[in-house]
Amino acid sequence: MNNPSILTSLPAESTLSISRVIGFILLLGLAVCAIMGPALIGMDPAKQSLMDTLQPPSATHWLGTDHLGRDMLARLLSGAQLSLSLAALSVITAAIPGTALGIAAAWRGGWTDRILTLFADAVLALPGLLLVLMLAAISPGSWWALYAGLSLTLWVEYFRYTRQRVRVVLAEPSVEASRLLGFGAMHIVRRHLLPEIGPGLLTIAAFGAATSVTGVAALGFVSVGIRPPTAEWGVMMTELLPYWREASFLIFQPVICLVITVLALHLSAGERKP
Amino acid sequence: MNKANIVIAAQDLVVFAGTNKLLGPITFSLEKGNTLVIMGETGAGKSLLAQAILGTLPKGLTAEGIVHLNGERIDQLTTQQRSSFWGREVAILPQEPWRALDPLMRAHSQVHESHRYVAGLSAKAAKQATTNDFQTLELSGAEKRLPNALSGGMAQRVAFAAATAADAQILIADEPTKGLDADRSNTVIDLLTNVPRKNGALLAITHEAHVARRLGGDVLVLKSGNLIESGNTQQVLEQPSADYTQQLLAAEPKAWPSTPAVAVGAVLLDVKNISVNRGNRTLLEGFSLLLRENERVAIAGPSGVGKTSLLDVLSGLIRPSAGKVTRSERLGTTAIQKLYQDPPAAFPSHITLGKSLRDVARLHGEKWSTVLGYLSRLGINEALLNRRPDAVSGGELQRISIARALTAKPAILLADEPTSRLDPITQRETLSMIADIAADKAIAVVLVTHDLVIAEKWADRSIKLS
Repeated sequence: MNNPSILTSLPAESTLSISRVIGFILLLGLAVCAIMGPALIGMDPAKQSLMDTLQPPSATHWLGTDHLGRDMLARLLSGAQLSLSLAALSVITAAIPGTALGIAAAWRGGWTDRILTLFADAVLALPGLLLVLMLAAISPGSWWALYAGLSLTLWVEYFRYTRQRVRVVLAEPSVEASRLLGFGAMHIVRRHLLPEIGPGLLTIAAFGAATSVTGVAALGFVSVGIRPPTAEWGVMMTELLPYWREASFLIFQPVICLVITVLALHLSAGERKP
Repeated sequence: MNKANIVIAAQDLVVFAGTNKLLGPITFSLEKGNTLVIMGETGAGKSLLAQAILGTLPKGLTAEGIVHLNGERIDQLTTQQRSSFWGREVAILPQEPWRALDPLMRAHSQVHESHRYVAGLSAKAAKQATTNDFQTLELSGAEKRLPNALSGGMAQRVAFAAATAADAQILIADEPTKGLDADRSNTVIDLLTNVPRKNGALLAITHEAHVARRLGGDVLVLKSGNLIESGNTQQVLEQPSADYTQQLLAAEPKAWPSTPAVAVGAVLLDVKNISVNRGNRTLLEGFSLLLRENERVAIAGPSGVGKTSLLDVLSGLIRPSAGKVTRSERLGTTAIQKLYQDPPAAFPSHITLGKSLRDVARLHGEKWSTVLGYLSRLGINEALLNRRPDAVSGGELQRISIARALTAKPAILLADEPTSRLDPITQRETLSMIADIAADKAIAVVLVTHDLVIAEKWADRSIKLS
């Protein structure tokens, strides 16, 4: 009978929902703006012009100027570049060791597993932003401290997820069969493990990126992260807050950018699987 | 036939998935004190019939036709309305009952719950009734155990007690002997034959002819959702008129011809006096086996005696706790291959079967055309290779895993219950293919099975474990 189960012949649920597609499109748009934008508009985000402060949008300054007469669009785009590249970098440097250690812990078991799990739990016990703050205090205002702090807190999630799933997969007869057939560890990682954990890792990555975007902005806002005059969304919010009465459109701009970015990342993450 | 005694009557019952007909039309009736057996291979729609009566069809499926239960017409009722007679008029003994029990509830409470809430007894009366059940079913002493501490046979009796606590006169048993060894399956059959004897009615679904024979009553034979043959069970099984029924009966291990013996060659594996442990438990002690080229050995025994662990020792995956396994020097590292009980679990689940097989061919420097040759010999259509393991039937997948093992040019093939989840016809085909190919390529095969008859018929030599 070529019909293993009645249920599999019913239409399968689509995994790519509308909201996810919207998330991906938004994310793509943001990435294009961040990469190409600054070069296209060709304005220096740090160039002050004290004659044109707090200007409303115009043909020369599409989104107006801030309290020092700097072009808002140039600053927002430069801020996007900073936030997104920091997010991407911290995701990559958290995902790779997190996943690799997760696989190692599940594979080796025993003491390797115990020590790695203990280490991960210890990191998890520290509130994430606290670690970032501590590192930022060592080297105030530098982006590497932010980045290192974010990566150090974010890898734990990849580790825990990977370890959990990989343990299950490694216990399956299919892995035993592959070993008996003579395949090595790389084959098992490539064919058995990565396809199983890939979708989950992407979801964690999207949430992780959102965490690091908001983290950078939050630290910038309370003046412990990136320092002025660098154009960073959190820093811009702090700078523009005193002028909200005279030019209220200014303060909304970095806020909207932040909201759209986090929304795009959360939408593209899809349903969070347990 | 006495109309007043009819408990279930179905007229032109049809089950659809959308506009696609899956089952029917089927007409039958079941009387008090009688048994109706539904036979057919996996996927023939046997379970759908029970679900259509109970109103528990999976989402997307619909039933048509007239169904009467105890004289009342029920086919128009919703699932909600029908739930009022579940347990009270009709009870169901599900497939693999140990999975149907609540894993966190003690045996006694599972049965008590049915007496208390389904039958509506007072707490005290329910307790008494439960104690009586445990006594009559010889379960005394197991009251406080959790399902994972019950043996398979006990779990089945607990499930039976829970299902029938509210005095349902009609019992539907869906593949009650699936995955059970001979002893346990006998216990279940005894329980079931008691139902009509006590003036109840039994509707049993099975693909095993010997189970049908013992249950007696009337039989319906289904194939791909169509009614092939019906009548008195003994008569149909003795003189089947439809080709399909004949095939089904010929596929019974009892009816198999013995597989011809072959000349054996040099010793491949010398197992001397080994003991096998799993955790702190010793499963086997003092086991010895001399496996020669070309030989077919069956290892038979009930569940839980350590057959699978023994294979792990033979293949070198685990070490014996005592004794020695000597591999012949000509055996390379991949000379021992294995077939698994659950074929979908034996393939990487996220890639197509074609990709899996190509990986194996590349690793072993085998030409792709050779692999395709094995597949066509095993009767596998190349188009299936574009699918993932979960989209192919168990029988086909098991044959693909034979082709995969052959690609590694094995000298020994270990087969761990390779057909216990397949229906009888597919089981017979698969085992005879393994025997043919093994003889052809001088491969030694160790078959692990819980079915002593299969062991006798199929192997040159069988070893019984207990």
